[in-house]
Amino acid sequence: MPRLARTTALSAFALSTVLLAGCSGAANSAPESSTATSTEADAAAEPATITLYTSEPQEKADALVAAFTEEHPEITVEVFRAGTGDLTARIESERTAGAVQADVLLAADAGTFEDYAAEELLLAYTPKDADALNPDVVDPEGFYTGTRIIPTVIAYNTAAIEKAPTSWADLTDAEYAGKIVMPNPDVSGAAAYNSAVWLAEPALGESWLTDLAANEPVIADSNGPVSQAVASGTQPVGIVVDYLVRELAAQGSPIAVSYPSEGVPYVSQPAGIFADTEEPEASQAFVDFLVGKAGQELAVEQSYLPVRSDVGTPEGAPAMDEITVLSPDLEKIRSTQDDAVATFNSLFQ
Amino acid sequence: MQRVLTGAAVRGRAREGARPVRAPRVRIDGVSLTRALLWAACLALVLVPLGTILVLAAGGNHLATILQGDVVEAAINSLVSATLSAAGAVIVGGGLAVLLDRTDLPGRRVLRLFALSPLLVPPFVGAIAWIGIAGPTSPVNLWWRDLFGAPLGTIYGGHGVVFLLVVHSYPIAMLVVSAALRRVPADLEHAARIGGASAVRALGTVTVPLLRPALVSSFTLIAVSNLADFGIPSIVGLPERYVTLSTLVYRYIQSGTVDRPLEVVATIGAVLLVIALGALVLDLLASRRRWELDSSASTPQRLPLGRSRLLVAVLAWAFVLTLTLLPLLALLSQSLLPAPGVPLAIENLTLDNVVRAVTAKGTATGATTSVLLAVLAGLVCGVLGLGIGTLVTRTRARDNGLLRAVAILPQAVPGLVIAVAWLVLAPRIGLFNTPWLILCAYITSFVALVVQAVAAPLAATPLTVEEAARASGASRFRALLDVSFRMAVPAALSGTVLVALTAVRELTLSVLLLSPGAQTLGVTIFNLQQAGAYNAASALSLLITLIGLAGLGLAARSSR
Repeated sequence: MPRLARTTALSAFALSTVLLAGCSGAANSAPESSTATSTEADAAAEPATITLYTSEPQEKADALVAAFTEEHPEITVEVFRAGTGDLTARIESERTAGAVQADVLLAADAGTFEDYAAEELLLAYTPKDADALNPDVVDPEGFYTGTRIIPTVIAYNTAAIEKAPTSWADLTDAEYAGKIVMPNPDVSGAAAYNSAVWLAEPALGESWLTDLAANEPVIADSNGPVSQAVASGTQPVGIVVDYLVRELAAQGSPIAVSYPSEGVPYVSQPAGIFADTEEPEASQAFVDFLVGKAGQELAVEQSYLPVRSDVGTPEGAPAMDEITVLSPDLEKIRSTQDDAVATFNSLFQ
Repeated sequence: MQRVLTGAAVRGRAREGARPVRAPRVRIDGVSLTRALLWAACLALVLVPLGTILVLAAGGNHLATILQGDVVEAAINSLVSATLSAAGAVIVGGGLAVLLDRTDLPGRRVLRLFALSPLLVPPFVGAIAWIGIAGPTSPVNLWWRDLFGAPLGTIYGGHGVVFLLVVHSYPIAMLVVSAALRRVPADLEHAARIGGASAVRALGTVTVPLLRPALVSSFTLIAVSNLADFGIPSIVGLPERYVTLSTLVYRYIQSGTVDRPLEVVATIGAVLLVIALGALVLDLLASRRRWELDSSASTPQRLPLGRSRLLVAVLAWAFVLTLTLLPLLALLSQSLLPAPGVPLAIENLTLDNVVRAVTAKGTATGATTSVLLAVLAGLVCGVLGLGIGTLVTRTRARDNGLLRAVAILPQAVPGLVIAVAWLVLAPRIGLFNTPWLILCAYITSFVALVVQAVAAPLAATPLTVEEAARASGASRFRALLDVSFRMAVPAALSGTVLVALTAVRELTLSVLLLSPGAQTLGVTIFNLQQAGAYNAASALSLLITLIGLAGLGLAARSSR
């Protein structure tokens, strides 16, 4: 009989979970629908719903949408958040099945957008006060606009490293052998872009990359695990995007950032509008907000370096003119990126 | 006991069935109807998405692309890691099942719960916890380096991938083998004991060989599903450039280094399908030679461990706790510290991350969606698996092997590829942006778990009970319902639990199929991690594990 009893108990457990889930599901969906209707009722002009695909972390994306809806209560923004690779896969699948379901894409690097523009997936739009923006992040053809400066820097564990490396060249020093961690260019778009920039930079180039490889860095998945490894001391030095380091430091991790003297490569997390959109005006309003003053102030609050000069920089970050940035010719980088990744892979095998 | 009960049930129903008016013999009876229904379900939930992958793959000829060195090397790595880890998982899981079910090991109820806990930890979280335990600067390695100048060894690389795959898949073998053990009659062991064999010898030469079908089918299941695992090789394998097919799939999609990435990825999916098909053929050949067991008339006697009881207990507890409690403790310390790298000291401990994890916007919706989807996936897979697993072992038909293969094949396809297939299908079936799309993908991916769990114990049970039912006048369908299904229910239930536990923290499928606003728990953890809230992510994983364990514990306890 024990078998029977166990069976009953198990099914009772399962059943009660279903019921619980069912109840909370119903309770959950009710307020959502009521807010939706009230926003529509309050709306002054043309209510619209747009779908945003983004790789921004969930909390930041939520804050962004909340700030935007405050300014444009008539527009509802639905967010689909995922890593850049997952977003690319989803967009590819949707194209195969018919049309892209998103209105706005806020993710990745300029290269991805160049590819989409070349395939005529994007709507040309230059945001309202484009003149106030860093000219490097505005696509001259108007298919996308950078929304943050995300440089790749050196992060180090302050508990384990006494003298911080201050240049890319420092990292080739034998003292850092086995202590460095960096993202995988096969996985991280930013890392792939970086390797092309490093190789194109006369002061660094292949000889620097060869020397770096001699120090046998650990190649972690993406920027997240890299910053975590540095903070926890698994590898005390990392090559990683800067805002993750600032955030960890703010939470109390023994980690600090060093902007290498030769200059930092950066990606700009562009925003673009899909040509298939049914709400071009609402989508344009969203892009305007992203690079407008309010949107950029929010970006600074969220630890990002901004794309306009009138909103300051995040706490703990240097002013924009103190950071040397590497802004090579994007066309050239795009054409050499695949070879650069191959070179990287052959050196770091 | 079981036999008596089912026998009585059959007799009772058989009398009703034997009414004077008998329907003329037609070929369409309940059994063939059930078979048709199961085929229809497989068609919709398995064959259509797999077909979509094949159609995508056929969109262009990418065999040349994938025959490059990269893919061949990755395929070898996948095959080797899947085979080794499945062998390891079957040895560990099978050993534990025998110890826990057939000996008087002290504390076996609690130990069983601990042993099951890796099921509840998302593999990518487990991998991160293990890097803390066995990474290059883990306490053990630092200590070893102080003593001998070099670290003892790190978890990065192929051996780490195999090890972690074993840790995260042995509970599956344990559940399948346990279910089979309960069907191995004690009479045979008794006979051996009466014949003079020692208890250990009886166990080793009678019971264990009879478990072979269960061992083989859990081996196939685990090998095939480890082929598709993504989280572990991506976190532990990639730092040492140990690339498997599933991480390669991700690379192709993510980096845009190939043209038409979907077609290339679908081609790799098709290659994995072929590998899995090979594994299934081997499985079929291996299970052709099988024994049939009579149902047991007496409860199995536990093997007294005698003088070695203490030693065995210490070893078993130490082994299981190292594999399960150690990573949980790593998670616990991460949950209670404010950020990575903060030293573990009383004054640094905080509940902030636990609060952040519980109150994060995604957590409540994630829990609701995940539990709902997991339970539904468990139930649907349970019913389908019960039907398919029973039909293919308890009836004779030409399409049995095919039906079973169809149900198991998707297990070998990386979640990413299955998700792509469902995404391509979604707009055509009107499921785009609904949680039901995730449910469909869960069913595609997980139905194999129940099919294997059900088929393993039933394959070794003779058809005599059904024959007795038929002889007493029951129809084929009645015999199937009253005898076969009843025998299969316990295994189907443990399969259902397995599916629900796997689905509740699933990541790869849900991350791509998510509709805006409908999170799942795996995605919530992943999002926290992506947002840099590593410690909150650990806290949430720990909470899910503990709640899951409590649920399992309650279920087990109330059955006493």
